[in-house]
Amino acid sequence: MTDPILKATGITRIYPGGTVANDGVNLTVRPGEVHAVVGENGAGKSTLMKVLFGLEKPDAGSLTVNGQKVDFTGPKDAIEAGIGMVFQHFSLVPSFSVYENVVLGSEPAKGISFDRAKAIATVRELSQKFRLTVDPLPAVRRLPVGQQQRVEILKALYRDAQILILDEPTAVLAPQEVEELFTAIRALTAQGRTVIFIAHKLPEVLEISDRITVMRGGKTVGEVETKDVDESSLAAMMVGREVSLRVDRAATTGERALEVKNLRLVAGNGVTLADDLTLNVHHGEILGLVGVEGNGQAELLEAIAGLRPVAGGSLTLQGTPLDELTVLERRDRGLASIPEDRIAQGLATGASVAENLAATRLDDPRFVRRGILNLKGIRDNAVALIDRFSIRVGGPDVDVGTLSGGNMQKVVVARELSEQPQILLVNQPTRGVDLGATQFIWKSITDARDGGAAVLLSSADLQELLALSDRLVVFYRGRIVAAFVNHAELTSETLGAYMLGIETQTPEAMAGAMR
Amino acid sequence: MTDLLEVVFSATFLITVIRASTPLLFATLGGLISDLGGALNVALEGMMLIAALTAVVVSVYAPWYVGVVAGMGAGAALGAIMALFHLRYKADVILVGFAVNILAAGGTVFALSLATGGDKGTSINLQSKAIPSIDIPAFEGIPVLNFFTGHSALSWLAALSVAGIWYFLYRTPRGMWLRGVGEYPAAPEAAGIGVNAVRAWSLVASGALAGLGGAQLAMFNYIGFTRDMTAGRGFIALGAVLLGARHPVGAMLAALLFGLFEALSIVMPGIFSWIPGELVQTIPFVVTLLALILFSYRTQRAERTLS
Repeated sequence: MTDPILKATGITRIYPGGTVANDGVNLTVRPGEVHAVVGENGAGKSTLMKVLFGLEKPDAGSLTVNGQKVDFTGPKDAIEAGIGMVFQHFSLVPSFSVYENVVLGSEPAKGISFDRAKAIATVRELSQKFRLTVDPLPAVRRLPVGQQQRVEILKALYRDAQILILDEPTAVLAPQEVEELFTAIRALTAQGRTVIFIAHKLPEVLEISDRITVMRGGKTVGEVETKDVDESSLAAMMVGREVSLRVDRAATTGERALEVKNLRLVAGNGVTLADDLTLNVHHGEILGLVGVEGNGQAELLEAIAGLRPVAGGSLTLQGTPLDELTVLERRDRGLASIPEDRIAQGLATGASVAENLAATRLDDPRFVRRGILNLKGIRDNAVALIDRFSIRVGGPDVDVGTLSGGNMQKVVVARELSEQPQILLVNQPTRGVDLGATQFIWKSITDARDGGAAVLLSSADLQELLALSDRLVVFYRGRIVAAFVNHAELTSETLGAYMLGIETQTPEAMAGAMR
Repeated sequence: MTDLLEVVFSATFLITVIRASTPLLFATLGGLISDLGGALNVALEGMMLIAALTAVVVSVYAPWYVGVVAGMGAGAALGAIMALFHLRYKADVILVGFAVNILAAGGTVFALSLATGGDKGTSINLQSKAIPSIDIPAFEGIPVLNFFTGHSALSWLAALSVAGIWYFLYRTPRGMWLRGVGEYPAAPEAAGIGVNAVRAWSLVASGALAGLGGAQLAMFNYIGFTRDMTAGRGFIALGAVLLGARHPVGAMLAALLFGLFEALSIVMPGIFSWIPGELVQTIPFVVTLLALILFSYRTQRAERTLS
């Protein structure tokens, strides 16, 4: 057994508000391993990583790197100690070239000038050595997300990081890109670097890591060898109880609810966002919209919700054309929508939970009588929904903005599903939401389906799409390029190949899945 | 019409254009530096005004170059004050900028009356000095070469500043930091660069450049201080930053364009007496407006072709 390269003992961090984010956390990382840290949102993973990178000072506990006790006052100290971090949100200057971004902050210089040639050569060398293929010359804003992530990793390696912390690195990647990242991670460890991998998607953790530290409620609940655990035992450790993320398929499919015919969507600046979209959604089924973000799925949902003008083709809801209807009229016909961004689109974060839960139904006599708000009715409604959707909140008068991501999302779900919808539009329902809340939200969506809703679901998480959808259509560059009836053998790799335009489906195969 | 062409293609007119452009160019470069650093300096106008008065008053008692340095120092000090309020006390940079402008408008009149012993309009009874022009007798009367003589020393400095600032921004590490801080502060921050320090220095430099513009205005374009003598040049400069595509060479071209129209508004009433002088004087402002509309149209079209 080798000595640990990094050891955190009894790390405790209490935020000014009194929140105990880390409570005696231990982490032992051996050199050359991939060490995963898993846990639900709010388990304290991020706080621990911030402590390791010098962004937060622990209130108690100690940190040793290579057996030396260290005391970081800022990220600079951590970088000097050989720790590099790749955040979920990249810190890259969009208009700068790859090499400029890599060397920014410690540029090679010739006299007073920036030594470009040397910077480019260094970046080339690093990218070859660690199998992080990326051209040093183009501006990073022109690169796909996967490559931008490599630039971030190169930044850390340029500063000679021996220990690399990756914060949920796969959250933004398509399946093929995840494979490439894993190849790079293996190349890194093969050359003696150590990787700390933060994640909550368990299959990936099981694939890439050597050992796993599990956190729950600010504490370490265990450290295990990856080969000794499987997905369900790991999930149980994380949540503290048995979790089943299995969802039952629709039993029967009803009548056609929504028809989309040759739909064309154009952005304000004239660019075509989607073209020739044709699909049907039936009562009692979930149709999954698959695609890398920005390929037209979100735009289709917006068009159906009435938030985006239609440039051609038609939308028909139960026989009536939707085009002429306002958002409110569509909602009156039973359209409900769980939007992608709960903070910007789903909620008024400065308003209370009760106000948010009533906000879309101000013509309901329970909430408004003769133009005056019925505060008691609004409050009673909130109390009932908080209970029914088990939203963890102090009370109906609490501001929505103070809730955790999962609970905010539950407020949106509660509002949209408090009455049985005819059509339900769902975009990224569990982004940034922990396992327990995910389970609940999935259940709510399938309950709505079983109650007769026609559901359109878009998600960046292919596991989610595969778990929930009855049928799936794949978007690529604004067109539908493939359609599937969901079955047990359908994998994210198969979908990924269509998502990236690598494979195409024959019209016959597609028609077979287009009811 | 031929009269106008004759005037426009004379060496004297070119010198007028350069003279009118110089204060604008300094202010534009100042605006460019702070804008690239991500702290839009709307106080250029006020900084120029205060610097102009400072330069005039100091030059009464000291050589002209001390007056110029004092004007530059006054601008830099105002930049430092803006940095303090914006970066340390987290005030909105636009509001801080307008505070400086309001302070300048009233403060200069007050200070002027103290300095002159009661005159609230001009510094006419102060013996302030002028920036010398650099005359090259050998070039006099020779076509083309005579364009290079008779300019203010500060005009040459302004031209050098364009080259210097270009080199700084695109060829030195610190220039890269500045551009990075303005575009996406999270990136330099993660790389251990002090984002606030970079912004503070950009405001100080911005103020110093605006200060040079103010000194040129009150010690060359006009000799002496008049209330509100900047007459919107600080705001035109902000437009020129955008019109010049946020690039130092573009900034120079934009400043020259505005200088050209200012020069026209000086010579045209003499030739076309039926055009009211006031109308000609509005030309730079109309041009600013048109230029900005054109500029935003171009950006929109560029964005369209990009996506």
